[in-house]
Amino acid sequence: MFTNGSKYLIGVTGFSALVLVLYIALVDGAVGGAVALASVMMAVGLLAGLALFNRDGDVQVGDTAAPANAEPVGSSLWPLVTTVGIVGMGIGLITHEIVFLLGLVALVAGFVEWVIQGWSESASSDRRYNAAVRGRLIHPLEFPVLATVGAGVLVLSFSRIMLAISKTTGAIVFIVVGAIVLAGGVLLAVRPNLKKSMAIGLCAIGAVGIVAGGIAGASAGKRDQLVEANEEDHFAHKECGEEKSKYFDFNAEAKVSMRSNPMATIEFVDGKLQARELGVDTPTTKVTVQKSNNIPVIFRNKTEGEHRLTLFYGEKEVQEGVVEELHNCTQMIEEGEEQMLIIRIDKPSIASEKPYKFYVPGVEDQSIEVFVP
Amino acid sequence: MIRHSNQRSGVRMSKSVRRIVATAAGLSAVAFLAGCASNAPQDTWQPKGPNAQKIDDLQKPVFAIAGVVGIIVFAAIAYAVFRFKDRGQPIPEQTHGKPVLEIGMTILPALILAGIGVFTFQTIFDLAKTDDTEMVINVTGQQWWWEYDYPVQEQYGITDPIITSGQLVIPTGTKVLLRETSRDVIHSYWIPALNGKRDAVPGRVHYLRLEADEPGIYAGQCTEFCGLSHAVMRMEAVALDKDDFTAWVKGQLSLAASPADGTLAKEGESVFLNQCVRCHQVNGLKKADGSPAIAAPEDNVWSGAAPNLTHLMSRNTFAGASWDLLTKECRKDVWGASSEEFGAKYLTGVTEECLNQTDLRRWLRNAPAMKPMYADPTKLEPTDGKYRGMPNLGLSEDDIDKLVAYLATLK
Repeated sequence: MFTNGSKYLIGVTGFSALVLVLYIALVDGAVGGAVALASVMMAVGLLAGLALFNRDGDVQVGDTAAPANAEPVGSSLWPLVTTVGIVGMGIGLITHEIVFLLGLVALVAGFVEWVIQGWSESASSDRRYNAAVRGRLIHPLEFPVLATVGAGVLVLSFSRIMLAISKTTGAIVFIVVGAIVLAGGVLLAVRPNLKKSMAIGLCAIGAVGIVAGGIAGASAGKRDQLVEANEEDHFAHKECGEEKSKYFDFNAEAKVSMRSNPMATIEFVDGKLQARELGVDTPTTKVTVQKSNNIPVIFRNKTEGEHRLTLFYGEKEVQEGVVEELHNCTQMIEEGEEQMLIIRIDKPSIASEKPYKFYVPGVEDQSIEVFVP
Repeated sequence: MIRHSNQRSGVRMSKSVRRIVATAAGLSAVAFLAGCASNAPQDTWQPKGPNAQKIDDLQKPVFAIAGVVGIIVFAAIAYAVFRFKDRGQPIPEQTHGKPVLEIGMTILPALILAGIGVFTFQTIFDLAKTDDTEMVINVTGQQWWWEYDYPVQEQYGITDPIITSGQLVIPTGTKVLLRETSRDVIHSYWIPALNGKRDAVPGRVHYLRLEADEPGIYAGQCTEFCGLSHAVMRMEAVALDKDDFTAWVKGQLSLAASPADGTLAKEGESVFLNQCVRCHQVNGLKKADGSPAIAAPEDNVWSGAAPNLTHLMSRNTFAGASWDLLTKECRKDVWGASSEEFGAKYLTGVTEECLNQTDLRRWLRNAPAMKPMYADPTKLEPTDGKYRGMPNLGLSEDDIDKLVAYLATLK
């Protein structure tokens, strides 16, 4: 006679085989999916075989198991969750893929929980024992998932708050929230006898506050400066002239990881521009860089005042009949400072009538010629 | 009866042992004899330059020491296995540890490793030196070929940057510094006869020193798994004596000339302008309106680059140095040339008689069939519609004839 566990595993094996056949028949050329399904089928089939062979596929079989359930089982939420998942997937198919994915998650979670609950409730007539059996199996999965989801919701909510409020208020909120978390931690540390329910209550109030703030922040939308910068493409469009840029010059562009081996270091020393290429000790006014590749370059300002390094690298037709010069640049930096610039030039030098060059805006007759073979 | 059974068992075991020993000996002999192959251009034991020689000077004694240690260890194991195998004798007295032996067996390997470490570090630092560099070449890896560009270095006659691919050309007796990077994934540059391996990593520039003692061709292979056609991402370093190198530079600085009107090559130029120039640059090629024809691989290829073909026929190989542009006889003639004759033979390039039309035509007919590439137009969604490798252009035989005629003019 087959035990319940064996029946379950045989059923899943059969279901996997059916899905595999349908997958191969309906999904064209997706080898990875077929291999995954075949692996699942074989793994579950192996387990089914082991269960059949050992007759241990069900908690009812065994010396420690209590007699079969005599007490009526409680209600379960999981059939409802599973149904919501199926409905969500159906709605997702005709609306948006994210709805489909959420439905799929609900379906899988509901189905797994439902199966585990059903399995545990047939363990014995003792509900507490059954709950312990269920917990032992499912808690190592439930707790990390719930913790990840909870942390994700808190982070998302907090980010919505920070994007909605002004930069100054944001700094204050960050300090206040950090101070509250610190104070709460200190309180729990110095008063270990504090009631558990009180500690949970405080945490819950904090979490609800952040989630509520996040909902309010998401409803209010991003602060005006961010909306304006996004609409006007401030993040992508640099002003590479002689004057400070309205948006671009606020923060240094300093990618530490790239500083270890720039293709060239370009210095503006006492009003003169010179380059040192990697691996070559003598300074030069001609630099060769590879086409279509991100090339790190360091700019050092060793001249009084604020200066930036600008690269001219050809022209591009942005609209029919409208040609725009291509520039890339560092920010304005003070004497003694340095900054990293990542350049990428897609066209060889022969594509431009004017030579490509590095120069310092506002300084005549000083440039580094850039060759792109 | 029992005695008889044991004897039979003993006979069976000795037969099995004999079979195992014979198989192991056979495999060892094959492995050993493989080391004697005469046509082994990537042999790590034949240094042809001072950098590779430094590695060789280190690896030979280390190999010898490791061999001696290995033989001692195997001999000790074999002695223990045969001398103390279970013959039904009583279990010997069990003692806890032998401090002198244990300390000795810890200190001795540590001393050996420390000794090897000193010479290893010395070699590493020697190979990392750049202050004596005499020439710089930028090396860029991408799926699945290498690009070389030579920055302006007037002392070698390089008055404008040179760009080439497949074959790296260097002057003999010159300390060349390769500045390696990559446009897509991590590759690794390795010419065993001239130096060890060095990774080419996107966004970073790594050094590798090369120096060749004698003129010749030195073969290499990408040694970092880099995708579908990693196995056919090859490279060759060509060393020319200084006069020949100057002649090569002069040739590379010239622009491609347009074929004469009315020739098949001229028709091939039109095909090139319609098809190939989307990715491949030929310096000097002009469009019908007289403006320079500029390739746009950044719009069509995932890495943003395709080999510059201006002087295709000055190279001996194509498609990531995986196929020869020379016929077998002509290739043998160049590879087998003496040091004195090599430069002249290499600089002759690919003549009409020596052009390996078979492979070149196969490539033009259906490149992905020769070299596996991500070039199926229906499966380019992950790369925004851009190819990784050369697609099948669906050229007619007539177009292929014209293209071959045109490509043959790119000296």
